[in-house]
Amino acid sequence: MDNIYKSIIESLIFASDEPIPSSVIVKAIKEIDGDDTEITPSDVDRSVNELNEKYASTESSFKIVAIAEGYVFGTKHEYAKYVGYLSSEKTKRRLSQAALETLAIIAYKQPITKPEIESIRGVNSDYMINTLLEKSLITIKGRSETIGRPLLYGTTPEFLMYFGINKITDLPKPREIEEIVKDSDFIEQKRKIMMNEVEENLEQDTINSGNDDNQVE
Amino acid sequence: MILYKIKLNTFEGPLDLLLFFIRRDELDIYDIPISKITGEFMEYLHLLEQLDLEIAGDFLLMAATLMQIKVKMLLPKEIDEIGEEIDPRMDLVNALIEYKRYKEMSEEFSFLEATQRKVSFRGNHKEDIIETEPELNSLLKNISIYDLIKAFQNAMMEKPKEIVHKVEKLNVTIDEQIEYILEKVGYIGNLNFIELVKGIKDKIRIVVTFIAMLELIKMGKIGLRESPNFNDFEIYSIQNG
Repeated sequence: MDNIYKSIIESLIFASDEPIPSSVIVKAIKEIDGDDTEITPSDVDRSVNELNEKYASTESSFKIVAIAEGYVFGTKHEYAKYVGYLSSEKTKRRLSQAALETLAIIAYKQPITKPEIESIRGVNSDYMINTLLEKSLITIKGRSETIGRPLLYGTTPEFLMYFGINKITDLPKPREIEEIVKDSDFIEQKRKIMMNEVEENLEQDTINSGNDDNQVE
Repeated sequence: MILYKIKLNTFEGPLDLLLFFIRRDELDIYDIPISKITGEFMEYLHLLEQLDLEIAGDFLLMAATLMQIKVKMLLPKEIDEIGEEIDPRMDLVNALIEYKRYKEMSEEFSFLEATQRKVSFRGNHKEDIIETEPELNSLLKNISIYDLIKAFQNAMMEKPKEIVHKVEKLNVTIDEQIEYILEKVGYIGNLNFIELVKGIKDKIRIVVTFIAMLELIKMGKIGLRESPNFNDFEIYSIQNG
């Protein structure tokens, strides 16, 4: 692959408003330069890595992120509070525990019906499902063949974007049942450590931006 | 009171509450002391009641389930196909573990969310502008079946057409029709009722005419007799009473 293509790929990702998949980049290049142009999606992936190396070496404030099965330019974490000042996106409320719980069940068990979600959570989930639908984090994927043909829910590309995940298979794996039973304290400790870190950061964010960072509800 | 605060802020449902008891008392999830836990669970429900909070049906259902298990524990154990004793707590334990799995993952999700919030993408400011106008929030290309359903619901929500019950003032009176009948009968002599109302188009006018006719009969000014035509009658005038 010609080196010029690295810049072309960079420009395509830069100009795209949403994550652009390698296949689309390849298609765009072949459309202009002819079908016999020697370029494959894996060439694109390699170029992206090289570009990111270049950005890293020049201490750039952004990099190319693989997200929602595409590439997109994103700012680095270090600058979050400054960038957040510009955009109300960052002051958006975070998801509540109940919403995250429901979302986790849907993400791992999709496509899944409402009764199935409710039987795992043990509580009525009408409101949560509607909220998630409204936030476009989940969508209706069809109908189940079981009695009453209930609606099936699944996650959306927006869900991947929201959690910074490239493919649904990249989600962290839930623990096996045996593991959970063996050490019930491990995750608890891990969570505490993580939450402390997160909360510290959030506090800083709040102080710096002067915005409320409450959870939903 | 400190206890109240912790409890009310933490639990997402009855399973969450049970997990809290198990964790707090370091219980073996496979050997839950049902009697103890049922007691604590009920105590929590009473607490909610005292605080005047609405107890969700889910909590009541769990309370009933716990009681049922408690009762089953007292009875001789049922035996499954392989001949092993069925622990009445098994279903609950499985539900608890399954729930715990996803609850843990929700914590991972929360972590991912916090990390991802720190990344800004190109073009994200454009979305912000859209956000201020909720109606434009759903871009056409991202439209899903849910959007359609919502749109349909909105359309159905629109004000139903007002049903107007018009009350029209009658421009006909019995007195008027009495005059009319007397005129006709006096002019033509004998007259069939059908003929009398022939030219009248409004239903109400026919009705009023009929009433006027009855009035005239009462006053003794006209009489009725059977008409040779089926379903009709003849009106004749009674001169001078």
